[in-house]
Amino acid sequence: MSTSFANRIGGWRISWREMGTVAGLVIMVVVFAGLSGVFLTQRNLVNILQQSSINACIAIGTTLVIISGGIDLSVGPAAALAAVLSASLLVAGFPVAVVILAALAVGLLCGLVNGSLIAYAGLQPFIVTLGTLSLFRALALIYTGGNPILSLPNEFRRIFSSEVLGLPVPVIVVGVLAIAATVLLKKTPLGEYILAVGGNVEAPRVSGVPIERTKVITYMTSGGLAALAAVILIARLGAAEPTLGNLWELEAIAAAAIGGASLMGGKGSIFGTILGAIVLGAMRNGLTLLNVQAFYQLLATGIIIILAMLVDRLARGKG
Amino acid sequence: MPDGSPQPAIILNGISKGFPGGQALENVSFAVEPGQVRALLGENGAGKSTLLKILSGIYRADAGEIRIRGKAVDIRTPKSARLAGIALIHQELRQVPELDVAQNMFLGNPLTRFGLFTNRAAMQRKARALLSQLDPAIVVRAKIKDLRVAQRQIVEIAKALLGEARIIAMDEPTSSLTPVEFEKLVGVIEQLKNDGVAVIYVSHKLDEVFRVASHATILRDGKLVADVDLSASSEDAVVSMMVGRSLDIPPHQSHVQNSVVLSVEGLCRDRQVRDVSLELRKGEVLGIAGLVGSGRTELVKLLAGVDRPTAGKITLHGKTMVFANPREAIAAGIALLPEDRKKEGIIPLRSVAVNAAMPSYRKLTHFDIIRTAQLSAQVNDLARNVNLRPHDIERAIRLFSGGNQQKAILCRWLMAGSDILVFDEPTRGIDVGAEGEIYRLIESLAAAGRAIIVVSSELPEILRLSDNVIVMRSATMAGRLSRSELSEEAVMSLAITGKLAA
Repeated sequence: MSTSFANRIGGWRISWREMGTVAGLVIMVVVFAGLSGVFLTQRNLVNILQQSSINACIAIGTTLVIISGGIDLSVGPAAALAAVLSASLLVAGFPVAVVILAALAVGLLCGLVNGSLIAYAGLQPFIVTLGTLSLFRALALIYTGGNPILSLPNEFRRIFSSEVLGLPVPVIVVGVLAIAATVLLKKTPLGEYILAVGGNVEAPRVSGVPIERTKVITYMTSGGLAALAAVILIARLGAAEPTLGNLWELEAIAAAAIGGASLMGGKGSIFGTILGAIVLGAMRNGLTLLNVQAFYQLLATGIIIILAMLVDRLARGKG
Repeated sequence: MPDGSPQPAIILNGISKGFPGGQALENVSFAVEPGQVRALLGENGAGKSTLLKILSGIYRADAGEIRIRGKAVDIRTPKSARLAGIALIHQELRQVPELDVAQNMFLGNPLTRFGLFTNRAAMQRKARALLSQLDPAIVVRAKIKDLRVAQRQIVEIAKALLGEARIIAMDEPTSSLTPVEFEKLVGVIEQLKNDGVAVIYVSHKLDEVFRVASHATILRDGKLVADVDLSASSEDAVVSMMVGRSLDIPPHQSHVQNSVVLSVEGLCRDRQVRDVSLELRKGEVLGIAGLVGSGRTELVKLLAGVDRPTAGKITLHGKTMVFANPREAIAAGIALLPEDRKKEGIIPLRSVAVNAAMPSYRKLTHFDIIRTAQLSAQVNDLARNVNLRPHDIERAIRLFSGGNQQKAILCRWLMAGSDILVFDEPTRGIDVGAEGEIYRLIESLAAAGRAIIVVSSELPEILRLSDNVIVMRSATMAGRLSRSELSEEAVMSLAITGKLAA
């Protein structure tokens, strides 16, 4: 039985489950490399990371929420809300730093709404975030009248399109966030609380864990990261649409699940989730290089998610 | 008695079963006569559950044979066990709460009309006929969820009889029964005996075993230790055979000091706790006795900040306290070791170390990063003190036995530095050997000056540990007994009648 899973206090050890995801990724890379000469070039690999970075950013937050026993369906609309607000501030000429902070504030606020309704009012996470999914989207649409906000300043766009050490800035930002989230989960009391709350609520409560605060923080993190993903995206596109972020929540949940997070809570890892996001990104990239129709890409996504769950199930049955 | 030469209802001969981790059963043999109740005794891990699982077709034995009324049978699936006339009453009953009694009794095997439609009337008739002998108070159309645990158990027994079971194994049948309900079960078992059913009775509670069973098979580490005629044996003798050493109970020693740590005045919560006042001193073990549902657990939950009182005053070291949540109670030094360990005690997937450190993390950080090495060292020391077995603090807590989970939770509060420890049913679901260990730990904590509250349904536990006892009865305090006034009769009389017997 693999008890290595996040069991050591503050251990950095890679679990069997994470090794499994790595193995899956390696197999996929080998297959695509065999089928397409372009796949394994440095340019394309960086491309995959770049394409995966937005989903990975969202998925870090989703993973924390899932580990704490919740779910956040509202990340896409929260991102859209942050996107249109920050875009209109940019167009109005506010400095970039202020705009980014404002975007983050919007995301954190969305998370605070979700978290408070769940932790303090005691509502079910699925239903609350289903409600705010509509609500945040509606606010974004109402605010913009349904129209995109165009021609964002180049100064803003440059920040996220530049490269450092050969890596695009979004990739570096998400990489740093992933490391920070891993430290949070494995090395801080809050991380232990998140893991504990997801496993069983009563026991941590009797042990003095601040249940409500822990839950609210996970949803705020999720909202904040959604806002950051929105900023990255509108910088790349140069425009903000109130409809952006459609189905982001499902992509992020898929990445977390492929990476080994249990929707029952109490289990999951940031490293696994990042791998999950890269698996999804690499697959889409590979299939596009092979000129496979988008319909089949969707099919492949579905198959991968179910395969990962089956492997999970088999591995556990054996333990 | 059946005809002249009684042939055993079931004979187990040289049953062995190994698992990758080791040998669970080694050459175990015994027989049960029709109309006999045979207890199966042993500590946790002695092999009782493995044996029950073999009997009910969940596991297959590696070696040995099972004979039923003289005929060798091969039990390979739960179905073949049922066909062989063996029924197992699980400790946690497997019933569908939303279905009614009759539906549950015929679950998976319904009576039908023309093989198409379920024949509810016939099922209810048959269920009623069977239940009228066991417990006429059970209504066959009542939903299972509306029955008391004891009644649900009787339904399960009736279901076994419905399947023509001649051998009924009961796994810890009384773990959630009140004394009155236990008497009812004794009556049902008497009837089974009269009908010539062979009963295999697994329980930790030896007083019950002596009441119910005539013989006992004692297992230790998967081996048969003894086959005992209970009418010619004693509880002490049986316990020492179970644990393989004699368990001498040291005489009670009082460590009560003068300073009052905790005092409670007029504590109330709705209808659950009414006007309870008590005092707890340094080094004292205060027992809280009473029947199930008398408000004992509800009372200690108020002390530990899990629930909030509606009236009354809690004074700690001379300061009036109001706890909004368990965190505040913990900070004030009050710790609860809950009755329902699975739900309120352990965080199952995480290690012993994480479980123990949970309330103390904030004290063990450096710039908000957990000081892992220091934490491990502390938990390791504590685990050694409480004799955690196996001594592996990185192992997931759910893999430990009940007794060791309790020790791990004790580590949690020792680490947090709690000076008032509230044990709610400290030895529930814990085997005899570990029980003694928990008692010795409680005694040594009191000797070290901690103040302790023990809530317990087990009178011997209350009698062994307590310096003073509060007896609860229907949400109020029925009385208070000092060590010198303490006796089983006094506690029971207060718990049931609210008065001391003359």
